Amino acid sequence: MTALRQVWAVFRKEILDGSRDRRSIYSLLFSAMISPLLFGLMFTVAAERRKSADEITLPIEGAEYAPSLVNWLEQQSGVTIVPPPADAEKAVASRAEDVVLIIGKDFSKDMARAVPAEVKLVSDVTRDSARPKVARVRGLVAAYSSQTSSLRLIARGVASSVASAVRIDEVEVSSSQQRLATQLSILPLLLVLAALTGGLQLSIDSTAGERERGSLEPLLLNPVPRGALASGKWLAASLFGCCAVLFSMVLTMTVMQRVPWHDLGIRFRVSDPELMTLLALILPLAFFLSAIVMFASTFARSFKEAQSYLGILMLLPMLPGLVSTMYPLSGRQWLAPVPVLGQYALAADVLGGKPPGIGLYVLAGVSVMACAAILVGLTARMLKREAIVFGR
Amino acid sequence: MIAITGVRKRFGHVEAVRNVTFSAADGTVTGLLGHNGAGKTTTLRMLSGLMRPDAGTISVDGADVISNPAAAQRSMGLLPDSRGLYPRLTPREHIRYFGELHGMSGTRIEERSDALVKWLGLEAVADRRVAGFSQGERTKVALARALVHQPRNVILDEPTNGLDVMSTRAMRALIRGLRQDGCCVLFSSHIMQEVSALCDRIVVIAQGTVVADGTPDDLRSLTGRTDLEDAFVALSGLEAEAVE
Repeated sequence: MTALRQVWAVFRKEILDGSRDRRSIYSLLFSAMISPLLFGLMFTVAAERRKSADEITLPIEGAEYAPSLVNWLEQQSGVTIVPPPADAEKAVASRAEDVVLIIGKDFSKDMARAVPAEVKLVSDVTRDSARPKVARVRGLVAAYSSQTSSLRLIARGVASSVASAVRIDEVEVSSSQQRLATQLSILPLLLVLAALTGGLQLSIDSTAGERERGSLEPLLLNPVPRGALASGKWLAASLFGCCAVLFSMVLTMTVMQRVPWHDLGIRFRVSDPELMTLLALILPLAFFLSAIVMFASTFARSFKEAQSYLGILMLLPMLPGLVSTMYPLSGRQWLAPVPVLGQYALAADVLGGKPPGIGLYVLAGVSVMACAAILVGLTARMLKREAIVFGR
Repeated sequence: MIAITGVRKRFGHVEAVRNVTFSAADGTVTGLLGHNGAGKTTTLRMLSGLMRPDAGTISVDGADVISNPAAAQRSMGLLPDSRGLYPRLTPREHIRYFGELHGMSGTRIEERSDALVKWLGLEAVADRRVAGFSQGERTKVALARALVHQPRNVILDEPTNGLDVMSTRAMRALIRGLRQDGCCVLFSSHIMQEVSALCDRIVVIAQGTVVADGTPDDLRSLTGRTDLEDAFVALSGLEAEAVE
């Protein structure tokens, strides 16, 4: 009972101290901002690009040589034909235009003789933003070409199907949820990052900082079990981590509501319970990550020393996230009890629209909390070592 | 009442404390005198329960420090060598934190906090953050939080270190006040004047052992010197070096 009151006292003190520490507050706010900013930017840019492919302005040089093609293009939805620039290649190279279509002056003659008529598509392959538009134009010209050749075959009494030996029917099996998942797969990484960095400053300040200031020895002179001290500090850092995750999630959702989803061809429901279950996955992780940071910083004699250790540690939760971009973690539910990796695996399933059973959440949560408890216990033991208490 | 018997502590090849035995009685001020590196701080750290002696026993009001540090810590108030504060907290918040860690009730902490702030003359700064406090103010805050639970045994490691004349005088007055209240006060120092001005009893430590233990008069007659400082130098075995 006394020990619980002592945990509460340590917790309250660290929260009060942390909330007055500009560095702690900034690190919390900053870590909460990364995700919404990145997402807002990412999706808005993606939507803009798709929109630019749907509604294109197409400069055509030599439009007078192929009135039927130009006429056909103009009838396609979202296509506006505009006059060409003076020098097509220069205009594309200087990025004044994304793409220019050049029609040769023999176009009509070649068409009439039924030999391949030539058009030039001027584009810059290194420009990612122009790529959807170029693809659209190429598709349009190809469509016109195959339409015309079908008509020619029919005119010669040949079934148009003769000309196509193989027909590809694309069957898209991923649901729109899964397509969204590929876009959202970065969200767990950002939330984990928020969980880690949200309580980072507070963790360092209450361990390495305590040693650096010389306030650890006076603190340990109180009749308090080391476990109670470590627990109070751990819970305070974890609360900051959880706040960072929650802020991050709320801000990301707010941003998501403003993303023009339908330009991306995705139906996105903000109140998706699946997205909410991400919180249930990531929040326990904040406790685990705070425990790791606290344990590592207890070794450090100063703030700077702690930061140098944590530079390496920062990579740890990010690695599985990076790996998952190359080696999909979804469907690997046996990973659930492994801290961090388990959360990523389950999060990938959640975002893929195949939410795992509640048992797996509980397993992942219990496992991660058990690991955190072990780390807190180890930190408590470290606080008994004379080299830690007196080593300055 | 503090009793230290046959305490030893070794760090690697260095024997910091070889054999320290002394006791400090209630209602008296006991001075632990020794030059830098004599083993004072190590002895006090073992007394605090944070450092485990290699041999010997330490008890505070009958509680064994080694087997039951929490009980001993409850009856001790310690101003250690490192007295770091939390720069973003006020003196009152420091006092409250330590009071809570001692399991004291909120109203009792408030009472003690008011009393300590008044006693230490911290009224003007009691609700200001301690960042930027003077050395004297910092020492007072460190002392206030150490005494929040009204310990019967007060241990001060070089309490006047880095203090100016006025703060040193204030500290001496505080130590006399504690003696009047019947506390057992043990403080370490390497400054002769301070020890002679305050102490009822002096324990001289040199090279990790107790070389003398008695009243100031005892020490004078032991060494045959009338000046206490000469007596200290003679006892510490520093005389030979000083003559050279």
